[in-house]
Amino acid sequence: MIAIPVEHCLLLSVMLFCLGLLGVLVRRNIIFVLMSMEIMLNAIGLAFVSGGARWGQADGQVMFLLVITLAAAEVAIGLALVLQLYQRYRTLDIETISKMKG
Amino acid sequence: MTAEQLQALLPIIMMASTSVIVMLVVAFIPRHSVISSVTVLGFILTFASLSWTGEVGQGLQVTPLIVVDRFALFYSALLLLASLVITLLSFNYFTKGSGSENQVEPGEFYILLTTATLGAMVLVSSNHFASLFVGMELLGISLYVLVAYLSHYRQGRQGSLEAGLKYLVLSGVASAILLFGIALLYAEFGVLGFGQLGALWSNIGALNGIYAMAGLGLLLAGICFKLSLIPFHMWTPDVYEGAPVMATAYIATISKGAVFVLFLRFFMVSGAFMQEMANNLLILIAIASMLGGNLLALMQSNVSRILAYSSIAHMGYLLVVLLVANTGNVPVSTISESVGFYLVAYIITTLGAFGVMAVRSNMLDTRDTDQVADYKGLFWHSPWLASVLTGMLLSLAGMPLTAGFIAKFYIITMGVEGLKWLLVSTLIIGSAIGLYYYIRIIIVMFMRHDEEPITGKRDRAVSTIDGLVLAALAGVLIWLGVYPGPMIGVIQAAFPG
Repeated sequence: MIAIPVEHCLLLSVMLFCLGLLGVLVRRNIIFVLMSMEIMLNAIGLAFVSGGARWGQADGQVMFLLVITLAAAEVAIGLALVLQLYQRYRTLDIETISKMKG
Repeated sequence: MTAEQLQALLPIIMMASTSVIVMLVVAFIPRHSVISSVTVLGFILTFASLSWTGEVGQGLQVTPLIVVDRFALFYSALLLLASLVITLLSFNYFTKGSGSENQVEPGEFYILLTTATLGAMVLVSSNHFASLFVGMELLGISLYVLVAYLSHYRQGRQGSLEAGLKYLVLSGVASAILLFGIALLYAEFGVLGFGQLGALWSNIGALNGIYAMAGLGLLLAGICFKLSLIPFHMWTPDVYEGAPVMATAYIATISKGAVFVLFLRFFMVSGAFMQEMANNLLILIAIASMLGGNLLALMQSNVSRILAYSSIAHMGYLLVVLLVANTGNVPVSTISESVGFYLVAYIITTLGAFGVMAVRSNMLDTRDTDQVADYKGLFWHSPWLASVLTGMLLSLAGMPLTAGFIAKFYIITMGVEGLKWLLVSTLIIGSAIGLYYYIRIIIVMFMRHDEEPITGKRDRAVSTIDGLVLAALAGVLIWLGVYPGPMIGVIQAAFPG
């Protein structure tokens, strides 16, 4: 088996994380914003698991489990708010509800 | 786990059981007064259990994740008292909406208050990245719902939904950034405990290597976001304005307080304060927050937004204390003492200001009573409320005879002893600008006006509970300003081991 160097894993996770961050910044549809946040969280998971593999510890995987839990909880609340948003405005565009300025 | 360790964990266990019990009460006895009383009782019992943790001495490590020391116990006590105040003030805020057709018992609000406080208690006792993460998310996820809480009522508030979504997305991104920082640090060093990290870093000296520096930078950025320091402050005014006022008070006091306490522990124990890079970044952030927060507050016409920008500035002042650590002129115990006193003063003051706002607001209105114009002539029809708010604003401005003065005095002393002249002069300029907008609200309250209040409704009589809570807050504020000795003694006994 050929071992994958830890730098490659970290590079991949940095790229995924930046893609997710970019998605959150440019997307206007709230569902896509939430999906981009999931990508960021999965990038974090990858970084933890590769760190755990590098040091031969279980800690990285434990942190990964916690990250998955966070992702699930966050998306549950996110979708509940998305439902409220849709019922009230019939749209998923986050620009339409942004009233507060300054 | 030994019996001793279990006993040390007692407050956290009590808080967790309170959440479960409140949840059961909401399910089986859905009456507002019962739910509220059980929550209050839970907070009081948890507070009492802080004295039953046994002798923890220099700090008892319970599993690698949690450390129970006097520092953690002191801040747990502070956060519990603040939660208690918020619970008491929430009761009337929600009762005023009752009697209408689609009244829903606000039970979930109380459950979330208990879970958020549990998260805050875990946060102040954590000295490991895993417990940091769990505590911060327990706090954060409860807060997303608290902020958006009023969006599901039929007359519903648009602001609450907007604030909830904004807070969810921005805070979620900030958590992700913080976690990514932790992940990079873990991949680089292979440890998750603050102490182990500190031991490694003291051998290495200055960090080099892209992943280590990026990791520390991202970690700091995430924490600065939670403390709403400039340039990570975008969410603060909108969330403060849109959220129900008690949720705002929770974010402003307990959430920020707990995160700052964690930051203090992390910064000291891991030795991050010795890193040149971290210090330089934080100096920039502190200066930007002290100036920017105060300048942006000048342009606001909404009390919630003014308090939001003022909290940005106050967190900037607090950072100054952390930044003198690397000069070696000031012992850690003194740093911890000034942070402690500042947080106590800040929490009391902010709770009082939002408390007055809560007393005058009604959950069924489309917004809270938070425009500066709503406070016109307040002194002439509710002199007591106006006096309490005046006291709180003067304390935020740092006037003598209030707790805020002693707190600011501490910080300036620290800055001078640490020879941080740039930071100290920025702090003084910032405070001078700050006086203007605090005094503006006070002047508006003393203006005489004969027509009906702008909101078109007279204030209802202040209920006994609200009156007592506000009077107690104002009393403590003056007491700490005039005779701070006993409180300083308590804080001195509690520094991170």
